[in-house]
Amino acid sequence: MKKVLLVDDDVDFCEATGLLLESKGYEVVLAYDGKEGLEKVRTEKPDLVILDVMMPEMNGYDVCVVLKADPKLKKIPVILLTGVGQDMFRTHYTQHMGLMTEADDYIAKPVETQELVERVEDWLGGNS
Amino acid sequence: MLIKPSTNVLVVENDITIMQRCRELLLQEGHGVRMAESVEEALDIIQKQPGDVDIILLSLELPGWGGMSLINIIQKSRHEVLIVTMSTNCGEEAIEAIHAGAYDCIRKSFTKDRFWIKMNRAIDAFRLNRQVRILRRQRQATLREPCREENLLAIFNSFADALVITDWKTDIVLFNENAASLFGLTEKKSIGHPVSEWIESDELLSFIMRAIESDSSLAPLMAGEEPVVKVQEKVLRVHVDPVKNGTGSVIGAVSLFHDVTKVSAMDKLRADFLSMVSHELKAPLSALLMQVSVIHDGLAGDLTAKQTSLLGKAKEKTKGMITLVNDILDYRRIEEGKSIQKIESLDLTEILPRTVELMLLSAEEKGVNIEFEIEEDIPMFSGDSGGMQALFVNLISNAIKYTPNGGNVRVTLNKAGKDIEIKVADTGIGIPPEDIDRVFERFYRIKTEQTRRVTGSGLGLSIVKGILDAHNGSVRVESEVGKGTTFIVSLPVS
Repeated sequence: MKKVLLVDDDVDFCEATGLLLESKGYEVVLAYDGKEGLEKVRTEKPDLVILDVMMPEMNGYDVCVVLKADPKLKKIPVILLTGVGQDMFRTHYTQHMGLMTEADDYIAKPVETQELVERVEDWLGGNS
Repeated sequence: MLIKPSTNVLVVENDITIMQRCRELLLQEGHGVRMAESVEEALDIIQKQPGDVDIILLSLELPGWGGMSLINIIQKSRHEVLIVTMSTNCGEEAIEAIHAGAYDCIRKSFTKDRFWIKMNRAIDAFRLNRQVRILRRQRQATLREPCREENLLAIFNSFADALVITDWKTDIVLFNENAASLFGLTEKKSIGHPVSEWIESDELLSFIMRAIESDSSLAPLMAGEEPVVKVQEKVLRVHVDPVKNGTGSVIGAVSLFHDVTKVSAMDKLRADFLSMVSHELKAPLSALLMQVSVIHDGLAGDLTAKQTSLLGKAKEKTKGMITLVNDILDYRRIEEGKSIQKIESLDLTEILPRTVELMLLSAEEKGVNIEFEIEEDIPMFSGDSGGMQALFVNLISNAIKYTPNGGNVRVTLNKAGKDIEIKVADTGIGIPPEDIDRVFERFYRIKTEQTRRVTGSGLGLSIVKGILDAHNGSVRVESEVGKGTTFIVSLPVS
C-alpha cells in the first residue's frame, strides 16, 4: 500500500482529504504544520507528500526547499496545495515559486476531489 | 458756517406745553418736527412714512405705559430710528427704557442748554449709526460684486483645497495660500516656472497637458480617473480642468488638490480588513468543500438520492463562496498592482519566453497554438519584474481564454521608436466595438453567447492597466468580431 503524507494546518481539511485518499486505497499519514511534516517525511518515508503552502511558521515552500535539498528525500514527489483560486496572476506566482522550490506538481485550492485523486494516481501509478 | 444736515424728529407727548417747547427748539435749529399725542398716532406716522422719522422724542408718561410699548414695537420692527425718552425724574422708568433700547432720557424740566446737550449727542449717535449701516451695506455689496480682483483673491485663498493655475506652457501663473504652503510656492520663485519643477508627478503633468489640449470629447475619459500626488505625509487627489477664456479657447489649466489622506488611510484599513477576512474565510471554506465532497462522493457511507442531491447543491454553494472570497482578494490585488514594488533593469527578451512557457500547458489543454517572436537588440527596461510578468500572464491568458480550439495566439516583442512594443494577437472571438472602451474597467466582462462559459473575475485587464499606469506605459486594442483581438502595449525606455 502506497503511503501519502498530507501536511496542512487545517485539521478538518486533513481529516476529509485523508478519508478521500484512504477510500482510494492509500495509507495516509497526517501532519499539521511544516516542522511536523518534515519530521514525518523522515520517520514515515512516504511515497508522496502533499504540502499546503499557507501554513504558519514554516510554510509549504520552505518545507519543499528543505526536502529537495536533502539527497535522501529529494526523490519523493511533492505536490503543493496552493491556497489560491484560478486567477492567472496568482497561479503564475505559485507556479513560479513552485519551480524555484523544485516542487513536482501543484494543485490550486479549493481542491476538487476528482482532480486530487487523479494527480495522486499520476504520481503513484495507481493504488497498490 | 457749516450747515449741519437736519434730522427729522417725531415728538410723542400728550403734555401740550412740553410738546410745543420741543417743537420750537428743534425748529430753531432747522430740524424737521412731527408731533403725535399718542402711541397709535406715532405708529401711524412711522408706518406711513418710515423714512421721515430719524429720532423719536418720547414721553415716558403717556397713559398706560404707552412709551415702553412703543419702544418695544420699534425695536422689534428694526426701524432704524433712535429713541430719546423724556420723563419728570428720569428715574427707574428711564433706566428700564434704556435697557429696552432707548438711547437717553431728558428731564421734562429741561433748560435750552440741557435739551441741546442731550439732543445733539442723540443726533450724533443717530448719524453715526446711519453711517455704520451704510458702510456695512456697501461692504456687502462689494462682496457680491465678483469682478473685484481683491475679492476674487480672497475667495481663492479661502479654499480649503490647494489650487494651482498653469498657462498653456504648464508654467504656474497663480496659486492660492494653501498651495503655497503645501508645495512651498512663492510669488517670486514659482510664478512663470514650470509646474513640474514644484510638483513632481508625471501623472499630474500628463493630466494638465491633456486638459490644455482638451477638446470636449476627452472630458468623459478624464472624469473617471484623477491623479494622486503625495506631498510630505499627505495624499492629495487632483482634479484638473481646462481654463477657457471668453471665446471658449483653452488658455491654461486649473488643478485642484484635495486632501484625501484620511480617506486613503481608511481605504487601506478597509482593504487590509478585506484581505484578512478573506484569508481567514478561505481555509475553513476549503475544508468545508472537501468535507462536503467526501460525503457527497459516498466515502463516509452510503447516501440516499435526496442526500446526494442536497449535498451536491451544498458543494456548489461552497464553491460559489470561495469564488467570491477570491474576487475580494483580487480587488485588493489591483490596488497593489498599481504600486511598483521594486524597479530594476529587466531583460524582457528573457521574461517573455519564460512567461509564455508557463502558459503552454493551459494553451495545449484548450487546443490553442502559441508562438512568439522576439526582435533582436531590445533594450533593457526599468520596471517591476513581478508586474511585468503579471502583465504578460494576464494578456496571454486572456488571449487563450477567448480563442476557440484550433486558434492561434501570437506574441511579439519589438522596438517601436523609443518604446518597447509588445503585441498579443489572437484569432479569437473578438470584442464588439461598443465594448472596446470598457474592457479595462473593473469587473467588466463582455456578455455574449460565446463568453458565457469563460470564467473570470473581470479584473485581469484592469490589473494590466494598473501595472502600465505605474510604468508610464500604455495599451491599445484592435479587434474585429469573429476575427480576433490584438493588444498592443507600449513601454517607454529610460
